[in-house]
Amino acid sequence: MVVFGSVGQTVVPESCTVKKSQATKVRPPAAGGAKRLIHPVVVYPFRPPEDYGDLETLYGLVARLDAQRETYARPITVLDRKTHASLQGKPRFEAFHRDIVARCSDVLDAWCVDTCQMWYAGLGRAYELGGPDDVYWLIPGDFNYGSPVGQEVLSRLHDLPEICIELGQDICVGEIEADHNNPKQLIDTHGTFALLYNWFPNEGREIRQYTERPRSEFFAIRHAFLGEMLHRRWYAYEQTVVVLLRAVQTGKRITRFSVGNISDLEEGRESFASAVQQVERTERVLKSVWRELHAEQADWAERYRRLETQSEQVRRAALILLENLLS
Amino acid sequence: MNRDRYSAHRNLRGVNFVCHAPQAESVSLVGDFNQWNPTAHPMERMADGGWFLVAELRHGHHRYAFLVDGHLTTDPRAMGATRDDQGRRVSLVAVS
Repeated sequence: MVVFGSVGQTVVPESCTVKKSQATKVRPPAAGGAKRLIHPVVVYPFRPPEDYGDLETLYGLVARLDAQRETYARPITVLDRKTHASLQGKPRFEAFHRDIVARCSDVLDAWCVDTCQMWYAGLGRAYELGGPDDVYWLIPGDFNYGSPVGQEVLSRLHDLPEICIELGQDICVGEIEADHNNPKQLIDTHGTFALLYNWFPNEGREIRQYTERPRSEFFAIRHAFLGEMLHRRWYAYEQTVVVLLRAVQTGKRITRFSVGNISDLEEGRESFASAVQQVERTERVLKSVWRELHAEQADWAERYRRLETQSEQVRRAALILLENLLS
Repeated sequence: MNRDRYSAHRNLRGVNFVCHAPQAESVSLVGDFNQWNPTAHPMERMADGGWFLVAELRHGHHRYAFLVDGHLTTDPRAMGATRDDQGRRVSLVAVS
């Protein structure tokens, strides 16, 4: 049986709090002796939204999940405290938070440096409440779920944890398909994969056999693999790449599933400044992961210097291309 | 397992499979649903060089591939990609 926890039974990090009124709701055991649950973890937008339409659509799904107690654990919403503080006193936010978010999910307030730390807080909290057969489903909040594409994505997201369960997969990555000129695709093609091929060429090739979007924020992950990742260093950025690297290196069962297609939509351009930031972050993370894996080896420093020199060339080339394409 | 979600999970649904292999002598559909049996779901050659089959599948997610003249081939138009129990790259289809 899944063990159903409460705040009093689990260790909550000091940087996190769970709203007592919600957290003390202990979900009853599933009927029929079900042995596995899906834990939805919603990452509330780091930047406050102007329009609540997208979030209302998203929380319509969350409310439906919350009602299916045989299948889903109580959803968790991770809300960064800076975001929360900046919105306090605003009637629209307070009403939305009180009447919708807190009604269908446990709200986890956490101090987070970036989105991936929100993942860490939310997935960590869900993991503490979960059991060995459970699956954890990350749902980013900053997506245009109210749009036609967003609704299509939302209608397919449930497949991710279901694939983990039905097909015994350790991780299922949701991929939003886009054409080659999509800004995010350009960043992954010329930045993420180019850097991966420098630092981790074998793993990069293997990852690309599954997905063209290794930085996807849509994924579901099995209990044991999540536990493995939670107990390793967790990065503030590009954590999906780190998870996929680990999955490939340790022979995990990986699935990629398409959750939508934005190829035919007109889309605002990603700014070049944003692209620079994303490429630099990816490089920083890959360098750190490489050092962690190789720092015990005698010749690591020399190899690191060589790779770092190459990495700088790769990054500069990527940024020249991205400047040409995005500016 | 989300069987409860699909209360009609025993129901079958026709799913279209198309494989573009104009030079092939034979193509069949293999997957978890037929125990990867190469003779269970032979595909039919179409005039345009494609091979076509409507397979009746249960609700849920299924791993599959095309067996093109005996060679396991993934579906470039698949909903997903994964590996089978032998570690071979295969495709994924969701039936809802």
